[in-house]
Amino acid sequence: MSSVKQEYNDRPTDSRIEWLRTEVWESYAPYLLIAPAIVFLLSVVAYPILETFRLSLYQSPTNSPVETYVGVEHYVTILQSEIFYQLLWQTGRWVAVSVMLKTVLGLLIAVHLNQEIAGRKFFRTAFLIPWGIPYAISAVVFRWIHHPQYGSLNAILLELGLISSPIGVLGNPSTAWFGAVLADVWIGTPFMAIIFLAGLQSIPDDLYEAAAIDGAEWWHQFRYITLPQLKSVILIATLLATIWTFVSFDVIWTMTRGGPMNSSATLVIWIYRVAFDQGSLGEAAAYSVIGFAFLLVFAVLYLRLYTRGGESL
Amino acid sequence: MTMAGHDRTGLRKVRIYGGLLALLGLMMFPFYTMIASTFKPEPEIFSTPATLVPEEFTVEAYLAVWGQTDVLLWIGNSFLISIATVALALVLAIPAAYSCARNDFVGKKTFLLSVLVVQMFAPVVLIVGLFDVMVSFGLYNTYLAVIIPAAAFTLPFNIWMLYGYFKTIPIELEESARIDGASQFEILWKIILPLAKPALVASITYTFLYAWNRLLFVLTFLTDDSKFNIPRGVFSMVGALQADWRMMLTVSVIGIIPILILFAFLEEYIVAGMTSGAVKE
Repeated sequence: MSSVKQEYNDRPTDSRIEWLRTEVWESYAPYLLIAPAIVFLLSVVAYPILETFRLSLYQSPTNSPVETYVGVEHYVTILQSEIFYQLLWQTGRWVAVSVMLKTVLGLLIAVHLNQEIAGRKFFRTAFLIPWGIPYAISAVVFRWIHHPQYGSLNAILLELGLISSPIGVLGNPSTAWFGAVLADVWIGTPFMAIIFLAGLQSIPDDLYEAAAIDGAEWWHQFRYITLPQLKSVILIATLLATIWTFVSFDVIWTMTRGGPMNSSATLVIWIYRVAFDQGSLGEAAAYSVIGFAFLLVFAVLYLRLYTRGGESL
Repeated sequence: MTMAGHDRTGLRKVRIYGGLLALLGLMMFPFYTMIASTFKPEPEIFSTPATLVPEEFTVEAYLAVWGQTDVLLWIGNSFLISIATVALALVLAIPAAYSCARNDFVGKKTFLLSVLVVQMFAPVVLIVGLFDVMVSFGLYNTYLAVIIPAAAFTLPFNIWMLYGYFKTIPIELEESARIDGASQFEILWKIILPLAKPALVASITYTFLYAWNRLLFVLTFLTDDSKFNIPRGVFSMVGALQADWRMMLTVSVIGIIPILILFAFLEEYIVAGMTSGAVKE
């Protein structure tokens, strides 16, 4: 500190100004440049998080500014309610089945795309498209496919003789969630496929060549080279898919709104229901805080995987 | 190559292409059934069981859609919201990413990791808090109520994407420009950004798509139907008591055309962006 001051005093006036400009700028510029992003994220993300915590302690109707402090009452009500445990089960089921299907299908597509084939760029683009279109539109299309009278799913199942009379997947409490899973898998598989493809391309060819010389069959190569080499990529991709599926809103909301009889509702669908259908921001905030807890666990896992091996940023 | 070997590669090809086409068929089927339905005449679209191939082909749905729905308005709003979101996100992300790529400062690692955590905080679990904020700041039912959160939730990806790319640009280029008397801003604008074009295109595409596709913010913060975007417009048609499936599907097809065009031109950047955003080598 004192040597800096010394240096400053030793300079002639002109270059003092110059020094101020360069040195001061150099030491503060990094902060000035990230400041807008920080302020923005603090006000649009961090503040609403705090606001959610605060709200969860209040009785706060959506349509009125009146707030009454109720302490942890919402949490107690939630933990004692039956619907909460039903939501946990339905959310777990939704995430597990959807992520599993996305991973398997994505891997299958990636392995096929990783071959030397003509028109690879075309295939890659074609497979990617479902990911890029609005989820609400995909959901509408799947509602149409599932339509009990006019949908093509029924037409195909009838044609194949698998069913004898039309079924309404989304209208039935025991199948509605799976109807939504199909749409979610359709949307989420392309991302998995592309990530897996990138991972596959980083596996050295000579591993396969050596295996081929040893006479390893396709399945053995997949089992003993591809899967182990792809392990970390699969881990990251499934974790991301888990987070995204957990918070997926547009698809379920457009297809079923969580119905019939709450059978396809997940935790986040319920947050929305409580807040904007039932008009209770306070209780919805308490559900959100529970949602944060889950996300925090995922986030810690993700950061662990992401920064593993002491990588420098 | 022996005869047997030749047969085997031939067989392999058949198997790969067969598998690929089967998978592609599966993934394309929803598009097919959506598009095919829009070309069926009114009575056929409501036949039971559905016809998988249109028996009669007509474009009347496409002629009627402009008069019967607000599809043009929704597309216009989607463009407005998407472009504004891209602009806001980049104005915030570029300086931050540049700063992290070029300097070592106390708190940089914390900043970058916190940004990553923001990406985990999905908007829907924050929607209650955001709603409260939007109402108290008087932003409810304005375009900004949609643009601001979309920019915030795409900011992490943009900062990381650009940060990673800026780091690969040699600092010598900047130093020689500085000797020539260029200001910091000129260096960024004339040297760094043109060189970072691939990362910029990936960022722009990602942010644009995010803003174009999202229903949640528009559903929650915009009540005025003249401000609806495409997903919200389609959703408003679902909500009607007797859903007009023909118009709804036609609007859907029109609503995804801009995205198909984007994909056709920018496939490489999208893939690069998607993969580098999630998996770091």
